Amino acid sequence: METLWNVIATYYPRFISGFLVTLRLVGVSFVVAMALGLVIAALRVQPVRWLRALGLVFVEAFRNVPLLVLLFIMFAGLRRAGVGIERFTAASAALGLYTSAYVAEAIRSGVFAVGRGQVEAGLALGYTYPKVLRRIVLPQAVRTVIPPLGSITIAMIKNSAICGVAFNLVKDVMFQARYVNSRTGATNEAFFWAAVGYLILTITATVVVRKLETRLAVRR
Amino acid sequence: MTYLFDPANWEWITAGNNLRYLLSGFLINIEIALIAMVLSLIVGLALALARLSRNRLAALVAGLWIDVWRNLPLIFIILYLALSIPESWRDAYVGLVPATFPEAFRTPFILAAIGGLTLYNSAVIAEIMRAGILSLERGQSEAAQSLGMRYWQSMRLVILPQGLRRMVPATVSQLITLTKDTSLVSIIAIQEAIRRARIVTNTSGSPFVGLGVDAPLLHVFITVGMMFILFNLMLSRLSKRLEIRERARTGTKIRRVTGLEDQVAAEADVA
Repeated sequence: METLWNVIATYYPRFISGFLVTLRLVGVSFVVAMALGLVIAALRVQPVRWLRALGLVFVEAFRNVPLLVLLFIMFAGLRRAGVGIERFTAASAALGLYTSAYVAEAIRSGVFAVGRGQVEAGLALGYTYPKVLRRIVLPQAVRTVIPPLGSITIAMIKNSAICGVAFNLVKDVMFQARYVNSRTGATNEAFFWAAVGYLILTITATVVVRKLETRLAVRR
Repeated sequence: MTYLFDPANWEWITAGNNLRYLLSGFLINIEIALIAMVLSLIVGLALALARLSRNRLAALVAGLWIDVWRNLPLIFIILYLALSIPESWRDAYVGLVPATFPEAFRTPFILAAIGGLTLYNSAVIAEIMRAGILSLERGQSEAAQSLGMRYWQSMRLVILPQGLRRMVPATVSQLITLTKDTSLVSIIAIQEAIRRARIVTNTSGSPFVGLGVDAPLLHVFITVGMMFILFNLMLSRLSKRLEIRERARTGTKIRRVTGLEDQVAAEADVA
């Protein structure tokens, strides 16, 4: 009879390596999502019309499509098309692209919260548009943007589990839970420890976001 | 690019009734989403009331329950249920379900699918409801009390009608997430759009073998993705309009529930 303690005593290396893989996937996707999201947000607020439209299409496409469909396109779709994309690359690219649409939206609304007048004042002072964004808008927008970005990050941690199921793209917590389950038949025990792994990540993230939120609260 | 736009790679869409097969699969996604949403609203209301109740123990248990389920990945919950629901339950379900139901709803794993979606989403909806109720000024419940109303009377007649109204926009944006999430039930072999897309690609051309048309995975999944995008675009327009109207009416917005991406996006839409 498998017990909770038996399962963790035998399979702890797998759960730990799964946890680290999840962390790595979330970390890489986070960087991709932030970098790309920032670019898309910049596209959506700059003055050239067709570039704005491009940003809008990107955001609406990637935030309304299921992540699973993106993973299919990114991995199997590209492989069938003859592009030899790596498993981890496909997973982090899909998760990053999907999340970047939300990041872009959060940053954009943070930028709008700064107010038109400040942008105009900057331009009147002779700053170029990119300089206005970088020197005047961004430093202020960061404060309003942290809480929604935190929300998006927590959602991303949860979404990362999909990558461990679709084509077994990464050997993350989800994958290891299924592996241990198939080896031992101890479904409750295997999934209990995996749940602990995910709760550590999501609840830590929630606490960190809440701390940042109170510290950075805009005093106007 | 030439691969993507080569007309030969799009021939599958008119071959047989591939497109209709996929579209009726997508309809199943929407049906599953709506069923799960209705169940989540019912369970979510009970959870929210328990978490807000003056009974400390009930509030604590409900709070723990909500925080555990909404902080776990949905695919994790669905897979767990699929693996752990006893076979006897599944057999009992298959024996009970009327033959008039669509095929997807007669498969035994639909229990795990709808159960998982409800378990996760009811926890999320409970938090959205709680945020809606907490957004009311204290004066509302104090006024109800001074009119001599009991706790449940003030809840039913004063607090809930206003609080639940305020959560409608956030609920619609959660419905967007839920619609996307129904794609996950394809993992446990329920024949909705994603599963059907795989069938279309696997049998090269069609589930009706022998059409001799190649259906490239990339193209089929782009088509399925477009279905989700179009449907969710309509939902996000709706959520935006509701949010603007609600905010114009009450002048407040409900506190954000952490960890909900589409709620963030809906806020950005309105800003």
